[in-house]
Amino acid sequence: MQTLNNLFLIIAHFIRSLFADPQSVWANLTMDVINFIIVVVIIVLAALILILLERKVAGWTSMRTGPNRLGPRGWFQTIADALKLMGKEDVTPAGADKIIFKIAPMIIFSLPMMTLAVIPYGNHMAPIDLDLGIFYFLAVSAISTLAFLMAGWGSNNKYSLLGGMRAVAQMISYEIPLLFSLLGVIMITQSFNLGDIVKAQHTIPFIVLQPLAFVIYIIAGIAEVNRAPFDLVEADQEVVAGPFTEYTGLRWGLFFLGEYGNMTAVSALAATVFLGGWQGPFLPGWVWFWMKVGVIIFFMMWVRWTFPRIRVDHLMHLAWKVLLPLSILNIFLTGLGIFIYRLVMGG
Amino acid sequence: MSIDKTEELVLNMGPQHPSMHGLFRMIVHLEGETVTEIEPKIGYLHRGIEKLAESRTYTQFIPYTDRLDYLASPHNNWAYVQTVEKLMGVEIPERAEYLRVIFGELARIASHQVMIASTALDIAGWTAWGYAFRDRERILDMYEMTAGSRLTVNCMRIGGMSAEPPAEFWPALESFLDDTPEMLEEYYGIFFGNEIAQGRLKNVGIMPKELAENLSITGPVLRASGVQYDVRKAYPYSIYDRFDFDVPVRYGCDSYDRTIIRMDEIKESVKIIRQAIRDIPEGPIMAKVPKVIKPPVGEVYHRVENPKGELGFYIVSDGSTKPARVRIRPGTFVNLQMLPIVAKGWKIQDVVAIFATLDAVLGEVDK
Amino acid sequence: MFGKGLFQGLGITFKRMVGPNITEFYPEQKPVLPSRVRSSMGLQREKCICCNMCAMACPNGVIKLTGEKDEESKKRVLKSYHMDLGRCLFCGLCTEACPTKALTVTQEYENAVFEADDMKWDMIARAERKGKEG
Repeated sequence: MQTLNNLFLIIAHFIRSLFADPQSVWANLTMDVINFIIVVVIIVLAALILILLERKVAGWTSMRTGPNRLGPRGWFQTIADALKLMGKEDVTPAGADKIIFKIAPMIIFSLPMMTLAVIPYGNHMAPIDLDLGIFYFLAVSAISTLAFLMAGWGSNNKYSLLGGMRAVAQMISYEIPLLFSLLGVIMITQSFNLGDIVKAQHTIPFIVLQPLAFVIYIIAGIAEVNRAPFDLVEADQEVVAGPFTEYTGLRWGLFFLGEYGNMTAVSALAATVFLGGWQGPFLPGWVWFWMKVGVIIFFMMWVRWTFPRIRVDHLMHLAWKVLLPLSILNIFLTGLGIFIYRLVMGG
Repeated sequence: MSIDKTEELVLNMGPQHPSMHGLFRMIVHLEGETVTEIEPKIGYLHRGIEKLAESRTYTQFIPYTDRLDYLASPHNNWAYVQTVEKLMGVEIPERAEYLRVIFGELARIASHQVMIASTALDIAGWTAWGYAFRDRERILDMYEMTAGSRLTVNCMRIGGMSAEPPAEFWPALESFLDDTPEMLEEYYGIFFGNEIAQGRLKNVGIMPKELAENLSITGPVLRASGVQYDVRKAYPYSIYDRFDFDVPVRYGCDSYDRTIIRMDEIKESVKIIRQAIRDIPEGPIMAKVPKVIKPPVGEVYHRVENPKGELGFYIVSDGSTKPARVRIRPGTFVNLQMLPIVAKGWKIQDVVAIFATLDAVLGEVDK
Repeated sequence: MFGKGLFQGLGITFKRMVGPNITEFYPEQKPVLPSRVRSSMGLQREKCICCNMCAMACPNGVIKLTGEKDEESKKRVLKSYHMDLGRCLFCGLCTEACPTKALTVTQEYENAVFEADDMKWDMIARAERKGKEG
């Protein structure tokens, strides 16, 4: 059990022990490269599984089976789709701003790689154990706004431009409640380090102490990754596919990878901060972690295939008039709670 | 060097656009996301059906009427054959009249289900779309077992019906009617009751009563603006005067009422079909009409209540086997006028929703 | 109360998610169509009396048929019968017009072809081929 729990740590230790000096620069570099590869593999695997799962959930909710042709119960469908995307012609529109057009999908794809690198997947299992983990996570994920705007502007397409502008308005608005909802937890733990936050949830996960913050985080998180009911950015009924309209082939595939990677990252942060991360009885920590992430992702998909798209002004009202005051209230209540706790415990 | 200048964005939506039903195109002038002007462009699906009628015999034109409003093809058949019957002065058997009512009301339910589904889809309610289409399948199955086709039903002939429903039709119809309350509850639960959907549709695209009357809007779109006008009640045709049913009216004048009024109409249609099943007599389904249909010289106009509006046929006969002129008055073609007026000043996504609530079928608009 | 409808919707989709699904596994399980379905036409050559009623009933001139007089039985027999399915509306008026029910609707619905010329059906050849296969 203990071995299974620390499986990856043991492997890491073994790799390091291959070097003459396990803490040398070369050993660290090797480990960094391995960590990088692992994060990329996580994103690609997540995308492969989630795209299929999304289609399956879409099917199940509307009483269909979903993809069922390729492999057992259609589980190889995404691989075939990925191969198809690779074979497609790479089209750049004539009037496009070529550099911006080509950089945008790369940025989108690199962001979840950067954010997922600080998530603790198990005890001492964060690829990069950063003291300002949450801070870094939010700062990096805010960049994705820019990538959407770049894609929208660079495509030289009116629909893309509209989608890009929507992305800016929506994601910046929801950044704020997202950030504020996490502040309560930070106030309790007195730490930005994600590993410390998980350890602080040894007795009780923060969803119990911070239910309001969790709800705000989930809503703002869904909006942050542009999923229904907040998928105004790529609203196909209105702006065709928003910033992605002009993309084909692998570039478009990178957007998809990025989208599902972002979704995994946001869910992973929710699992880490509110659901106790890798803490859990009986099973190894990393299994618990991915189970919690899976539950949140499933909830996001369930919501997507139930709700229609929100109106654009209601979207703004929700962010500025509902979520932001509530998250500030949550901070206030948390402060009050901490104050009373200290008073009672005599701290 | 200040460049704080705003510019109008002219956006071409359609004919290839995910939310343009059929081949509709509109040129949208945008101020940010706000629509300042809409120019609807129609005609991409024009097949010259009115002109085709002049080179077809009266019977041969029936399959073409299927292709007008293809979501409610029995209604088009009905309007056309009744017009010809009016011209010829043919009395059709009782049983055929009842069967026509049953098929017409089934078509109304099917058409409204598609309308609910497509409105849900246009505001991204994918699953609600699936549910309504799932239930519509059962109506299509009933068409199929009776007339042999699912979409272009072609079930009516001049003088009656093309075929007697088979034995398994009646139990299928009964079970469908029994399940409709459950279906409507499900549509309500997933779509109309959803606060996000209500936010998208309520108080959006207000069409006041006066405007609706001035634009000669008909059908559910008119009744959602608070005008109680239904051809079935106002100028009863066929045997509608024998049935006890209400004309649902709503007074919200907005997209939400234009959508949810279809739910009320489905309930009324179920009521009519139940009465028709109860009262339907035995007997022939075809009147004695000559094999070669040669109406007397003259002209005639007849209108019916299509699920989407008032559908009228105007036929001029020169006494030959082919009509000299056929003019079709499609409901949605007229209803479509309201789009540039009502949708002005709303956001793009509201325009999409308003267009969806019109339930335009471009086969009917472009003819 | 705000939010009630949202939870109701989630409840409905969850119920459908765990409930049975209604997918038709088409190429593996072929649907059995009712006998009135007008998905293609079939000709019984011996019943045909070459009256041309079908060709006249057709709104689009899909049917072209020729017949010749048989010297022995003094009846007209069918020589050629062609349908241009590219123009066919599948309205079924031809089968209704047929006085001997030689032309009937059939339930073969897999009519997709790759070449436009393949839509020109030689009904006699089709009838014979079907007899050989079936």
